[in-house]
Amino acid sequence: MQLLTLYRRRLRLLAGNPRELIVPLATPVLFAIVIGPALKKALGSFNPHVDYLTFVSIATVVLLVPLNAMFSGLSVFADREHGALRELLAAPLPRWFPPLANVMATLTITTLQVTVLIVAAVARGATYHATASGVLWFVGAVALLTMIYASLAEVMAYRLTSEQEYIGNVPAIAIVPWFFAGSLFPISVLPKGLAIFSKILPGTHALALMRHGLTGGSTDGLKAIWGAHAGAADAAASFGIVAVFTVGLLLMSARAFRRSAVA
Amino acid sequence: MKNETGGVRVQGLAKKYRGGVEALRDVSFRVGSGEAFGLLGPNGAGKTTTIGVLTTTVRPTAGEIEVGGFDVARQAIDARRVSGIVFQDSVLDRGLSGRANLTLHARLWRMPRDRARARIDELTEVMGIGEVIDRPVRTYSGGQRRRLEIARAVLAEPRVLFLDEPTVGLDPTIRHELWSLIGDLRARDGMTLVLTTHYLEEAERLCERIAIMDRGRVIAMDTPAALLSRLGEEMLEVDGASELVTQLLGDRGIIVADVFRIGSTITVPFRNGDGDAAVRALRDSSLPIRSISVRRPTLDDVYLRLTGASLKG
Repeated sequence: MQLLTLYRRRLRLLAGNPRELIVPLATPVLFAIVIGPALKKALGSFNPHVDYLTFVSIATVVLLVPLNAMFSGLSVFADREHGALRELLAAPLPRWFPPLANVMATLTITTLQVTVLIVAAVARGATYHATASGVLWFVGAVALLTMIYASLAEVMAYRLTSEQEYIGNVPAIAIVPWFFAGSLFPISVLPKGLAIFSKILPGTHALALMRHGLTGGSTDGLKAIWGAHAGAADAAASFGIVAVFTVGLLLMSARAFRRSAVA
Repeated sequence: MKNETGGVRVQGLAKKYRGGVEALRDVSFRVGSGEAFGLLGPNGAGKTTTIGVLTTTVRPTAGEIEVGGFDVARQAIDARRVSGIVFQDSVLDRGLSGRANLTLHARLWRMPRDRARARIDELTEVMGIGEVIDRPVRTYSGGQRRRLEIARAVLAEPRVLFLDEPTVGLDPTIRHELWSLIGDLRARDGMTLVLTTHYLEEAERLCERIAIMDRGRVIAMDTPAALLSRLGEEMLEVDGASELVTQLLGDRGIIVADVFRIGSTITVPFRNGDGDAAVRALRDSSLPIRSISVRRPTLDDVYLRLTGASLKG
């Protein structure tokens, strides 16, 4: 009940700040409805088996999720400087409730934004072939990736002292990994060292799962990670890796909150 | 001391921050159930750190602390459940309405909905914020925000109410109004009050007992009247020629053992009506004195006497 109260509070505060909802959506939607079709037109002839519009539109989810999470993390600064954060610290509830409620609110906003993004991409011509299990892979991957980045945003917001410092870290954390996740090209074309690095990133595994889910069980992304024998087991393995990151970062965010809360 | 379950017990409290700053050293006091207790001292005395420990946002280095009958180390959530706090700075969700802020508090403190609704209506009326309660808090004046925060702190009917410099930065009119409101709320709900302040008048007006803090220690603790009585009935304040004044008064047989000096001003506490004799002696002298005055002692004098520094400074 208290967790739900905190979750609703965070949603109300986010809804009262449209900038935090619209700005993260702008770049991915631009990719989905402008850059994706342009890539399809320009590069589609090089590989007729790849629909670049669909290929890029799914990747934009992996750009949207971190951007949205990082923008949501800014609300921690507002809470600390001008909000009721200290009231929450004095409230009779476990200290891990506030960061978890923030992550839940970010998950809700992300769900709405991903829906807008998918609808925009479909309207522009992206084609998805999703079974019920495929949708589950997609939804699971989006949810876990959102929790990873929302937790990371919380950790940063509790540890860093200024918004400027926080915003300065956003490109490195939210955008750079996207280029290594196989968003615009398969990771198999990367130099060997970078390909290994990309396989460590949770976004790479999440994106492979999303494509696996929305393109009729295509295993191209999973194959690029695990090798030629990619199948359900490899999808489960990628999911497991993303889940481990999720649990680890949720615990880290709870710890960061507790440490920032108690002097 | 009344019923302990509604009070506060602090025994041997110490707090050393990372970096070695000792904010509190062996602080001990008890506040009885329903008692109003003040922590008085200048900035940096350790008042806010003490409140932080009592409200579980500062982890003590040593000591035993109970709030409302609960050990704050082992039963932190229970201790927070029976506490209300008004912070030194405004701590409100400014994007939400006053009512939404109060409702949030009621839910976090697990008040039944009907009870919360009735209590919010009652308190908004008592605190005089009925007209603005549905407006966003960012449109409130400083005084309205403070009233809302006090209403929020007492909403869940806490056993112990902590007020951390509740009227700092407010104009004198609003300050006096808030003192009345706090006094009325206490009289009605009978809660224990722990107040930090460096306003002497605030402490005298609201508190039954006062602990004076200096550099992390409690240096005196008693009722305001008992603390003031240590300095006698009147204070002589003389600006200029302080050493000559002390010598002259001593030569006339006037006891000046408790004299204390700030800059060029000396202050002499008097018992037994020696003040008039001292003023006559000084006026008859040819010492280069800029001003002489006789007044009643204040808690600032108590603090000056104990530490050599002013509370107001």
